[in-house]
Amino acid sequence: MKIDAELCIACEECVPYCPMLAISMKDDVAVIDQDECVECGICLRSGSCSVDAFIDEPATWPRQIRAEFSNPTVPHRSTGLAGRGTEEVKTNEVTGRLKPGWLAFAIEFGRPVTGARFRDVDMVAQALAKVGITFEPANPVTALMEDTKTGKIREDVLNEKALSAIIECVFPREKGPAVLKAFQEAVKKIDTVCSVDLADLVEPDEQVPAEKMLNELGISYRINGKTNIGLGRPKFKGGN
Amino acid sequence: MTHTLHRSGTRESLGGDFVFLFMPAFGINNIDSGPKLRKFLEIAQHHNPVNMGDAFYGNQFAKGLDNVMNNIKKDGAVVHAVFDNEEDAAHMLKDVKEADLGPSLVVSGIFDRVQGLCQKNGIHRHAATYSLGIWGKTENLPPDDVLDIITMCGHGMISAARINSVADDVRAGRKSAEDAAKELAKQCDCGVFNPARAAKLLAAMAK
Repeated sequence: MKIDAELCIACEECVPYCPMLAISMKDDVAVIDQDECVECGICLRSGSCSVDAFIDEPATWPRQIRAEFSNPTVPHRSTGLAGRGTEEVKTNEVTGRLKPGWLAFAIEFGRPVTGARFRDVDMVAQALAKVGITFEPANPVTALMEDTKTGKIREDVLNEKALSAIIECVFPREKGPAVLKAFQEAVKKIDTVCSVDLADLVEPDEQVPAEKMLNELGISYRINGKTNIGLGRPKFKGGN
Repeated sequence: MTHTLHRSGTRESLGGDFVFLFMPAFGINNIDSGPKLRKFLEIAQHHNPVNMGDAFYGNQFAKGLDNVMNNIKKDGAVVHAVFDNEEDAAHMLKDVKEADLGPSLVVSGIFDRVQGLCQKNGIHRHAATYSLGIWGKTENLPPDDVLDIITMCGHGMISAARINSVADDVRAGRKSAEDAAKELAKQCDCGVFNPARAAKLLAAMAK
């Protein structure tokens, strides 16, 4: 995103809308720091500019991935869906993506507020790959990997910045402690923040085994989260 | 898409925050699901939603509710309805279960409250997704009161600066906390932002 200096009237209305704080005033004109801008488009969609000074031109590779990961109204090339993730367990009673005895783990880099460079995503993805997880094949970050066995992300995107990018993976429940330990070590080295989640199926007695595992590992979790109610149909055959 | 997860806050504040997400599985039951998604939003309208939206189109505050209802794609979308109290959420869950529409329903909220709603309706939950919180350079984050509002838009469309700006407006008496919260809600495209809860948080910030 850019701002037409000839049109800008320096009203500063757009400045607070930028989640990345990439808009500032210079010589009585609003300017966007192109390195920090993640192309989320919120400045444009806010309607804050009374003179239509925003210039929203299609970006070329590799910058074009910024909008795909940051703007929820832009479909991602790898999924065809708007947003930066997948259906994960939201439709699981229909898809059977997460199987009994397995856990789904997601690390959303840059959320909240800070944004993230893909070099941080790459570092953690490679650390997780070493303990034998399976990356979600339909995930946009997975689509950027040179090799899904190593988790290595292609070099030409590593300096690109996104509002957020999500690693999604699954692994057998017994691998949980090793995966979480690998994550805890790798996350110490990142230059941003990440929001982390773990999904599990609910047992017939309404217990969720992941809770016990997290408690044993001393990893806290929030009192609130997402519950797939299980009303979707047709039901996946073989699910719980 | 974890956009309805990772909402921060106290138990008291989160007790007024129930997000219903309704979507088909693409490639399995999405064909001709548009009318079912619209029916879900029609049901929601009977239970005092504080926000509704479609991830593919926009939310009621930015686009208008009629436009949201009339622009659901024939072969699938991701629609949301947000409730600010357990009673309305309970009635909504009961009616959606009885409608037996086919797409999947995900409810975000305090786990024990949501589990209670399910038990009352004879529902065995399918899966749970836990937020393990924020890791990494957390020293770069804004204060908790700002984060509690920011995290209600999972796609990160609401900046800390914008929240501080409208909180200043409320503090100065230039606008009400309710109007300020509705302004913020426009920016959360999917319609999962809870303006009723945000108004309470903004009012507290403005003191």
